[in-house]
Amino acid sequence: MTNGNVTLVVKDLRKKIGKKEIIKGLSFELKKGEVFGFLGPNGAGKTTTIRMLVGLIKPTSGQISLCGYDLHREFSKAIRQIGCIVENPELYPYLTGWENLEHFARMVPDIPENRISEVVELVGLQNRIHDRVSTYSLGMRQRLGIAQALLGKPKILILDEPTNGLDPVGIREMREFIRFLAEKEGLTVLVSSHLLSEIQLMCDRVAIMSKGKIIRIDTVEHLLAEQERVIWKVEPIEKAKSLLEEETVIIGEEDGTLVTYYEADKLSSWNERLVKAGVKVSEIRTKLPTLEDLFIELTGGETID
Amino acid sequence: MKGNVVKIITALSIFSSGLWIAGLGLTIKDQFFYESEAPIKEISLKDVVAKQEDGIHIIALGDSLTRGTGDESGKGYVGYVVDELQTKTKQSIHVKNLAIKGQRSAGLASQLQQVEVQRQIKQADIILMTIGGNDLFQSGEALSNFSLERINQAKADYLQNLHTIFKTIRSLNPNAVVFYISLYNPFNDLKDAKTTSAVVREWNFDSAEVASNYPSIIAVPTFDLFELNVNDYLYSDKFHPNKEGYKLIGERVASLITFTEEDEKND
Amino acid sequence: MINLVYNEMIKIVRKRRLLIIAAIIVVLVALFTYAQMKRVQSLQEQLGTTDWRSQLQQQIIDTQNRLNSSGLSEEWRKFLQIRLQQQQYYLDHDINPSAPGAPTFMRMFAENSIDLFIPLMVMVIAADLVSSEASGGTIKLLLTRPVKRWKILLSKYIAMILSVSFILLSLGVISYFISGVVFGFAGWTMPLLTGFSVQGEELDTTNVHILSQWKYLLMEFGLVWFVSIIVGTLTFMLSVLMKSTAAVMGIMLAALISGTILSNMVSSWESAKYLFMVNLRLTDYVSGMAPPIDGMTLGFSMTVLAVWGLVALMISFLVFTKRDVY
Repeated sequence: MTNGNVTLVVKDLRKKIGKKEIIKGLSFELKKGEVFGFLGPNGAGKTTTIRMLVGLIKPTSGQISLCGYDLHREFSKAIRQIGCIVENPELYPYLTGWENLEHFARMVPDIPENRISEVVELVGLQNRIHDRVSTYSLGMRQRLGIAQALLGKPKILILDEPTNGLDPVGIREMREFIRFLAEKEGLTVLVSSHLLSEIQLMCDRVAIMSKGKIIRIDTVEHLLAEQERVIWKVEPIEKAKSLLEEETVIIGEEDGTLVTYYEADKLSSWNERLVKAGVKVSEIRTKLPTLEDLFIELTGGETID
Repeated sequence: MKGNVVKIITALSIFSSGLWIAGLGLTIKDQFFYESEAPIKEISLKDVVAKQEDGIHIIALGDSLTRGTGDESGKGYVGYVVDELQTKTKQSIHVKNLAIKGQRSAGLASQLQQVEVQRQIKQADIILMTIGGNDLFQSGEALSNFSLERINQAKADYLQNLHTIFKTIRSLNPNAVVFYISLYNPFNDLKDAKTTSAVVREWNFDSAEVASNYPSIIAVPTFDLFELNVNDYLYSDKFHPNKEGYKLIGERVASLITFTEEDEKND
Repeated sequence: MINLVYNEMIKIVRKRRLLIIAAIIVVLVALFTYAQMKRVQSLQEQLGTTDWRSQLQQQIIDTQNRLNSSGLSEEWRKFLQIRLQQQQYYLDHDINPSAPGAPTFMRMFAENSIDLFIPLMVMVIAADLVSSEASGGTIKLLLTRPVKRWKILLSKYIAMILSVSFILLSLGVISYFISGVVFGFAGWTMPLLTGFSVQGEELDTTNVHILSQWKYLLMEFGLVWFVSIIVGTLTFMLSVLMKSTAAVMGIMLAALISGTILSNMVSSWESAKYLFMVNLRLTDYVSGMAPPIDGMTLGFSMTVLAVWGLVALMISFLVFTKRDVY
């Protein structure tokens, strides 16, 4: 139904709990080899959406198809395509890492014996794999979680907060590992995170969610590039503000500066108007916004976390 | 190694599941679809091998008096008899007290038909018994509003039963000495004492008459023991003896046994 | 499916639940063996005889005396009455119901632990089968495998049944060997009577027949197994419904204990016989004890238990396959 490059298709996904609709019609597609970020404050519906994608929660309506298999009608075939960690990688603490992997390998048909050692090597846990999981650090558990997700050679990897609780070195390793999987192994990776900087560094595309809806999907470069800002250092600020508001939208104000969108053809005329009106303009500079700025604008000031 | 443990446990579990399901099946077959075969034979006395332990065997039969109701130490006169005998002999003494509270002569007569009771009587050297108290006092409704007619009726039945009892004992065991402990009058202190005492005396006399028909059955009187200061020897129910009362009976019986026991030993 | 069940068995074994249960059984059996030994000794001292017939006769006389005392409750009187008739029947047929020996001890242990101790042990296994996966979060990993949810639950249920069987097996083996040291290992072929039925205060003996003890034991363990599976199924259902293992245990414990209390006082509350916990003493029907409520029979109790078990199983599967996992 779609071209071979699309691995995950979501159409008009909705979830009602009681009378309250918490997911209000999501639609998006993921492509092979891309890292896709889910961004949104708590309560936006990220976790619910991810749990619907992996079959833990049944959608009220809408379709999810994984590599062409409908999750609802062909559960086993569809779920075979994904590997996931939902929230923390919770494994059986009383078993060794190896036994945990064996346990999950037994639940999937056709996993060759050497696949376990393969994934262990991939995540670099060879030294500790025969120790009990209860003795592992959080980073090691995270890696074992990934190993577990990769066992069945999935085409899609779904990771909920993969860097949660890791130290800075661990975060960097994880980021590089995820990029490696997408670029070298051709996996589709869906990541949710509350760390905007992480998403910005890791993802190719981002969906920003708020109140059960996706309010924006685009590539990271587009999101950041098209919305270049101008920072005005002006005095007196009140006068400059009322003048600029007649021309454009003021999107920010901080310690003696005003922020507007960048519009190349109009910038000089705005400046002229300010100067003519007797406003002292001491600095005009353009700046690429961070995803965080964008996020706050889009969600109307909702904070993350 | 670890994997093997799991495998062994799993194998044992599967095996035992089969075993228990078989057990359940057997239960269902046995409990719901049982077709009764020939009834199981009750044993008769001949089938029971008499295993004789060394020592003196005492069997106590009868009612609450032999049980020892009223004695807070629980010994009853049987206990005091044994205490006394223990000082006189080195042999071990085995007591089996088969008395049942509230038992009447008819009950005792049928108790003596039980195979196990018969077996024990067969092995006995000494038999102690009290019977009749419930026949007399309950049929006479504690003698309070007594009617002589009813008492006489009860006594006729009772004497008949007493015959049966003695005959059964003697046929089972011709050698054991039977001490039949007769009645006292617990109402000696009340206003009708004269009438009630007369009734009890006559009852005892008739019972002794029955006993005299059989060899080695000795009627032991207790009437005199309770004649004076009856309340000192009665339990708070004013019917059963208390500890002191039982001691009196026990001492009396024991004094009789010394003699006969030596006698038996000399045989 | 075999793989799934094997997974569950690994988890049960590695959680050391079975080991703990076996240890508890060892301690308890040792305790009861000692208590039983003391009882036998004191009985011998008291009666001055080792002859079981005299001992049984003495017990009958004691019961008769108790029946003649005032202030007995109606239930207790009935219970004594039935037991008296049964003891007399054993005596009249020259069969010793409590000949010492390990098999006899096993039988008594099973009879006395069927309504509380064994269900408790079963509970230890069944209570956290599902709830621990939910509270530990591993349920999310289990349910995102290419395996249908009902299969996952079924594998857990089968693992529960297997563990129950294993617990009973260890109970049998442990009690046989520990008590055997004290009472001797013989007695498998000893005859016992079954088929008593209770009609009011009378014991009906028309269907009474002799069974060798090993058969009798096998039957009783079959019934204990049945009861354990039902209790296990109910615990399993609670384990599906609740995240907290402690809550599961609490509810089951309350139910089981209320059952042992109720059995002693429900004779006038007739509809209580439809509660599962007053129906647990199935072995009493085989040995011929008076049921707690008139009209209860082995068939009745097994049906009540089976219905409870089936309903619980259905609820478990419905909830587990439909539920959203957060």
